[in-house]
Amino acid sequence: MKTVNTLLLLVLGACIALSAQARDQRDYHEMVYDSGCKTCHDQGMKSFPSDDSCLQCHDMSELAQQTKREGDEARQNPHDSMHYGQEAPCMECHGEHTPKQAICMDCHNFDFPKFKQ
Amino acid sequence: MQTRRSFLKLGAGAAAVGAFAPLTVSANSSDVKWDETHEIVIVGSGFAGLAAAVEAGKLGAKDIVIFEKLGVYGGNSTLNAGQACFANTDLQKQLGIEDSAELMVQDQLKSGRGYASEELLTHSAELGPYIYQLTKDCGCVYRDHIINTGGTSATRSHQVVERSGSGFIRPMLKTARSYGVKTKIRHKFEHLITAKDGTVLGIQVRRGYHFGHEESGELINVKAEKGVLIATGGFGANVSFRQALDPNLGADVGCTNARGATGDGLIAMLAEGAMPVHLSFIQSGPWASPDEGGFGYGAGFSLYNFPHSIAIDRNTGQRFMNETADRKTRADLEVLRRDKEGKPNPALLIAPKHEAMKDPSMHNVLKYNVAWEFDSVDAIAKHFDLPLTELKKQIEDWNIYVKAGEDPQFGKRMNMSTGIYLTAPFIVQRLWPKVHYCQGGIQINTKAEVIAAKSGEKIPGLYAAGEVSGGVHGVSRLGGCSTPECMAFGVTAARSIMKA
Repeated sequence: MKTVNTLLLLVLGACIALSAQARDQRDYHEMVYDSGCKTCHDQGMKSFPSDDSCLQCHDMSELAQQTKREGDEARQNPHDSMHYGQEAPCMECHGEHTPKQAICMDCHNFDFPKFKQ
Repeated sequence: MQTRRSFLKLGAGAAAVGAFAPLTVSANSSDVKWDETHEIVIVGSGFAGLAAAVEAGKLGAKDIVIFEKLGVYGGNSTLNAGQACFANTDLQKQLGIEDSAELMVQDQLKSGRGYASEELLTHSAELGPYIYQLTKDCGCVYRDHIINTGGTSATRSHQVVERSGSGFIRPMLKTARSYGVKTKIRHKFEHLITAKDGTVLGIQVRRGYHFGHEESGELINVKAEKGVLIATGGFGANVSFRQALDPNLGADVGCTNARGATGDGLIAMLAEGAMPVHLSFIQSGPWASPDEGGFGYGAGFSLYNFPHSIAIDRNTGQRFMNETADRKTRADLEVLRRDKEGKPNPALLIAPKHEAMKDPSMHNVLKYNVAWEFDSVDAIAKHFDLPLTELKKQIEDWNIYVKAGEDPQFGKRMNMSTGIYLTAPFIVQRLWPKVHYCQGGIQINTKAEVIAAKSGEKIPGLYAAGEVSGGVHGVSRLGGCSTPECMAFGVTAARSIMKA
């Protein structure tokens, strides 16, 4: 029984790894791919990267600055929003291998023209 | 012997989790290997959870942890309109509004249609001024204007300047942390861990959980030295659960709740024998718009405008309800607005721009295509295809009611529309109810202790507060009356835990 179980684990593990490779990749993250999957997958290949993973390269306050909005849109800054401030972790809205949309869109018809699904 | 099928299932689960999960729901205390221990364990980071954390911090608790399932704090609370009904505040006195806790309870009992708990409502209403001050001490800032919500006999809904629950959540989160409260996202509550006699010892949590990926993360056991507070909110976003209780609430009805409102806490407490109350009483918001997802901007717009605006049936061009009746009355009437084939034909809220423009929500609804501006009654009738003569007559009649200060059509309280005539240009928003609040839940007492179904006695070590608790509001909850109740019972739970 135990050997079968281990085998199954290995096969499943391989499937997960393969399917991830087959999924979307972001060309602007090419250099990260060159450094290997573990650059982001700091919690093992079978787990989601930690919330800090993206922040190895990206800085939240810089991102907030980059997506700063003016006037009545000031609070729609997705990286410094009225609801979550700068605390929303990256993967709430962004997916590296899967298309996602900003959680704001659950309730609002906002326009984020620079957002890459 | 195991079948091949069940073996495969077990193997796949183990592979994803990385360890074999305990198969029993409740465990014997001596069998449990604890990964973490805290003085107070709070599940959920909305109004109830945060109010409890702040109050426990004030009372000197040294080790409080809040587990939040989602990647962001505040759950459903951070999405609401930022209103809280308090009776007898300094702001009401400044504005010349006479009110009392007793009057607030009477309004709520009426809306509860004989099912509300006078005891729990009174406890909550009497704590109102304390909660109002507690939120201000946390740094919440209220508007000078008090909102009139449906079904009330005095204007009492105090609103934070953000006009969103985040105006409460963020300052309270900050204050909780200032007391050393540990706040953890992506920690999903799985089930309670109880001793053989039913006493709650702690909880099992999935650490590193990503919403929608049920097997993500790893299971850990967390011990609670003084008590566990379940503040996980409602189940409005759990379609199969809500539809089982109310067949009308299938997937084609929208929902204003946060993604996480799936009823985990409620289901886990049911599994431990807690008393269910009024689970079928599920409320839809009559101020919602079908032209955006969730709570959105439309709710704020209609909340401000209902007192001096009219809701029109597109088939008849006439009013069909008291626009400031309680939520159930209005939502039930709105959902009946349908075309000949029975398909939704949402009603129109027609507001006068000269008044609507006084609230910042008008700008938002126009900008994001949740409402539209029209120069004349003819333009409205043409755009939405409704009978012009009837609509014109209805608007003329309405303006006569405004002048008289009396609504013979539906008996609406007219003191909020004095001098506000419905004249062009108009702002028009569509209305279609969305599932908003679960009045039902687990029974608690005035100490926020959870009651066991079998004995009617408290379950030791277990507390609940907020939307997950049931029986407080009865058939229908009044607008702005959940926020103060969530906070009141959060505060109460903290006091009980610190005394236990």
